[in-house]
Amino acid sequence: MVYNTILGIVQNETEAEDLAQDVFIKVFEKISTFKGDSKFSTWLYRIATTTALDHLRSKKRKKRFGFLQSLTGSGGDEQEQVPDFHHPGINLDNKERAAVLFKAIDSLPENQKSAYTLHKLEGLSYRDVSEVLNTTVSAVESLMSRANQNLRKHLEEYYNKHYR
Amino acid sequence: MTSKEKIQQEIERTLQSLDGLKRAEANPFLFTRIKARMNKKANGWEEGIFSFVSKPAIAIAILVIVMAVNGWALWGSGTSETIAGDGNSPFSELANEYNTVASVSNYDYENMTNE
Repeated sequence: MVYNTILGIVQNETEAEDLAQDVFIKVFEKISTFKGDSKFSTWLYRIATTTALDHLRSKKRKKRFGFLQSLTGSGGDEQEQVPDFHHPGINLDNKERAAVLFKAIDSLPENQKSAYTLHKLEGLSYRDVSEVLNTTVSAVESLMSRANQNLRKHLEEYYNKHYR
Repeated sequence: MTSKEKIQQEIERTLQSLDGLKRAEANPFLFTRIKARMNKKANGWEEGIFSFVSKPAIAIAILVIVMAVNGWALWGSGTSETIAGDGNSPFSELANEYNTVASVSNYDYENMTNE
């Protein structure tokens, strides 16, 4: 469950594996701070989600810095082309469609991405998602509705460009 | 069916592509790796010192220092005998006071008293 959640957010198998290790190390170190107010799984999901989002933030920061370096001509990598992500749990018929959807999910804001991943990939109920994200059920409903709207918008743009 | 309707249909099918998704399984060696990292963390500072000392640059630097100290100690003991031998320096005075001059051993002392 930890690996699958992280994989859904970072969309890279190697990075997800390293982050899953980090999550378990954090759990090992901070187990004494777990008070038992929430379910252990909720606590675990929260750490996994935060770790994955932190990783994405630092990756974005590095990308921005690389872009600035390339502008000033002081080195830095060229803008890397992100390859399509193929989730290992997708059946073969939906592989291409799911890759398009994952690209759209990647463009969502952090909180929408977390809610969508936890609900769709992990199969958590809105109540469980709200506990993980430390918010209310209605807030999760709103996040999911906005996420769906944004995904539709993104997919519409994609299919307008690529549909023959 | 117009192209707009076709696009809408594609969008719906794409949004449903995650239905029936199986949970991704982590690498079977993940647990072993986590366990190794936990052990490393548990060993803490000892591991840190060992990894610091085992760096080639640090190891060579330590070796050079040890050899230098050895050399200095050897050279120093050689010259201290000559200092003790001239009988004037504070070292020789101290050596005489405590009977630690290298040329006089307990054996000699016993011989002297027997005479």
